[in-house]
Amino acid sequence: MTDHLTEDMLIKYQFDLAGVDERSRITAHLAKCDKCRAKLQEIKLKFSALDMLAGQPDIAEPLVEKTVSKAKTPAAATGLIFRKPAWLTAAAVLMVAAIAVMIASRSPHLEKRQSMVSTVVRSKTAEDTSLTKKLTETAAPQVALIDPADIPDKPPFAPASAIELNVLPKRESTQLTIYNSADLTLVREKRKLTLKPGYNWLQFMWSNTLIDPTSLTLEPSEYADKIDVELISYPARLKDIGRWLIRSEVEGQVAFEITYLTSGLNWRAFYMATLTDDEKHIKLEGYVRVANNSGEDYENAQTRLIVGKVNLLDQIARLAQRQYPYNSPVQIDDNIRVYNAIIEDRLVSMLGDTPARGRLFYDLDRKQIKKEGLSEYFLYTIEGTETIRDKWSKRLPSLDIAGIPVESIYKYNEEMYGENTVRFISFANDEEHHLGETPIPNGNVKVYRALADSYLSYEGATNIKYIPVNEKVELDLGAANKVAVEPKLMEFKTENYRYDKDEKIVGWDELQTWQIELTNTTAIEAKIEITRGFNTPAWEMDFDDENIDYKKHDATHARFTTTIKPKTKRTFEYTVKTYYGTRAGEFIDSAEK
Amino acid sequence: MEQKCLMDIAEKNLIDAHIDGDSEAFVKIVRFYGPQLLGYLSKVCGSNTEAEDHFQETFRKVYEKAHTFRGKNLRSWIFTIAARIVIDDARKKKLRFVSLNQKMSTDSGNNVLADVLQSNGNCDPSDDIQKRELVEQVRSALDKLSPKQKTAVVLSYYQNMPYRQIAEIMNCSVGTVKTQMFRALKTLSRSLPDISGGVI
Repeated sequence: MTDHLTEDMLIKYQFDLAGVDERSRITAHLAKCDKCRAKLQEIKLKFSALDMLAGQPDIAEPLVEKTVSKAKTPAAATGLIFRKPAWLTAAAVLMVAAIAVMIASRSPHLEKRQSMVSTVVRSKTAEDTSLTKKLTETAAPQVALIDPADIPDKPPFAPASAIELNVLPKRESTQLTIYNSADLTLVREKRKLTLKPGYNWLQFMWSNTLIDPTSLTLEPSEYADKIDVELISYPARLKDIGRWLIRSEVEGQVAFEITYLTSGLNWRAFYMATLTDDEKHIKLEGYVRVANNSGEDYENAQTRLIVGKVNLLDQIARLAQRQYPYNSPVQIDDNIRVYNAIIEDRLVSMLGDTPARGRLFYDLDRKQIKKEGLSEYFLYTIEGTETIRDKWSKRLPSLDIAGIPVESIYKYNEEMYGENTVRFISFANDEEHHLGETPIPNGNVKVYRALADSYLSYEGATNIKYIPVNEKVELDLGAANKVAVEPKLMEFKTENYRYDKDEKIVGWDELQTWQIELTNTTAIEAKIEITRGFNTPAWEMDFDDENIDYKKHDATHARFTTTIKPKTKRTFEYTVKTYYGTRAGEFIDSAEK
Repeated sequence: MEQKCLMDIAEKNLIDAHIDGDSEAFVKIVRFYGPQLLGYLSKVCGSNTEAEDHFQETFRKVYEKAHTFRGKNLRSWIFTIAARIVIDDARKKKLRFVSLNQKMSTDSGNNVLADVLQSNGNCDPSDDIQKRELVEQVRSALDKLSPKQKTAVVLSYYQNMPYRQIAEIMNCSVGTVKTQMFRALKTLSRSLPDISGGVI
């Protein structure tokens, strides 16, 4: 007795897994081999550990109630139970076949290339290639539920070598959300895919686009519990190609939502402000220019614009251009930060724009731009849908409000603007100024003046920052030539010297008398604001002119405000006493007392 | 045989009554087959919560698809639905992320001790601890099996189903079931705890 039974044989014997012959041989051997019988006992004992989980649990009454209740409530999107009579199926197949033959004979070149091409790749089977099947896919929108037991457990490793390609229908709808500050756009699109029961491969390409392939997601919009998007694979040696594996318990057209991030879409706001002849009101026209350099055409897309700053881990454009989707991480630029704060700042860097940049065309029907506040940033939605093709840009009106009261003011401040007088127009984003419904995005403002003869004169341009509601904005129109401020030092003297024990000067006063000459050569009255700085907080002003408003602006500056009639010149004088050294200390002490 | 025939008739009557709108019929089906099904699910699922979820889902499908039952064996049919749900769920789970911080199975001893101390009050907890640890080890050994292997073992060992019936439930051949069963037993023989010292 040398050939004892193996453990495998004994397990098969114990659990009735052996064939008839093998079982007979084992039985015969066991009858005469003590050692193998002992070994069988060991195996029995070993597996008796399974008995520790034996027994059936009692079902609690709440579980029964819950189960019955849930069973009576139809599952979401599974309320359809198709019980098609055979004659109906046959009739439908015949009808569909007839329609499809007509379509096939009339339109052999229906396929249209899109830059992001998506195709359903299917295993070529006799069933799939049958005419009826093909026609059903192309012409019948019906969806049939199938028994999941008919679907193999194991998904195919890859599409079969013999494949059948079907170009998908166009996008049903598209939504673009453009995060301007980060060169990031979230694209959500709906497409109807025709699924066969079982496993479907959906192939997509992103060559020549700036789509981030790692951000792609695919979700069924209906029959969610019948369709699983199992995985996405990026085949080796194929650049810019990915394949989704979809397990479907339905057959027919099903709506899917595809979302992804892309780069290359951006928007900019810019404005045209037209001053009335008397410069007391402006008409403010706002525009949004959406530019598409993403490599992809977006047709009839709902477009949403985000004001705010988004920080990204990676640059989408770089992700899109890598050789393989999950390549080594790209280098992160200094201005790209980790997601530590998604929205950091409401004020976006000021960007200018000109209508001449890019290809530009106007919509005859003016679209409204709806605005709504989000928690951290602001969302503008362009009413309706827009078609924005690759390499094109589109300008849309966003604002058109006339009669906004404005204040025109000329400022003279040597420390800030040098020896020029600078012109400003100011208004507030509030109801009083016929605004205030929403914040105004940052952008370039060009200011014109409407002349009496209906011509426009260009007055200047500036950039504005994001203007929240109820905040004031000043448009800096640059140096003004027709309104001048010319200060002249008329007298200078020092006095009140203080000496230390070595007879060295340690403190003194300076007296300066200045004459300010104001000139207005324009045809309208000008408001002028003159700010004078003294470089020390120890100063005293001697000024007395009823026609000039004077106030101490801050510790080291005085400010004079006045208006000057058209085509006139006038002067005013002031004397300022400044204290230095120990005199400054004495002045501050006395002021505190 | 006669009893089985009577049971088949009763099953057929129950399902027909349910299709005809008798709301009590479905409750009877849940009460009659529920314990066996929950026993099966509690062994093949990772947690009681999951088992109860699958339990409810199974009966939801029974309720919904009762009209497709062709009067063979209601128990087999219910288990077929349940097995499909379990296997589908396991397949989906393959793609789920698992936290690296999740406790390993061998870390569960402390929890067992805590449970025993909580439940036994003044009794010496050492016996219960040993028993519970063994139960955990058996459960852990079962968890090492693939969903199909686990289904084969549970249906065969705990539900005493013949391989032919298991093959129907798993929608495969008897040979496949036996192969799954044999592989499962080989795995179990390595991972089941040694109880030769006796079980308390």
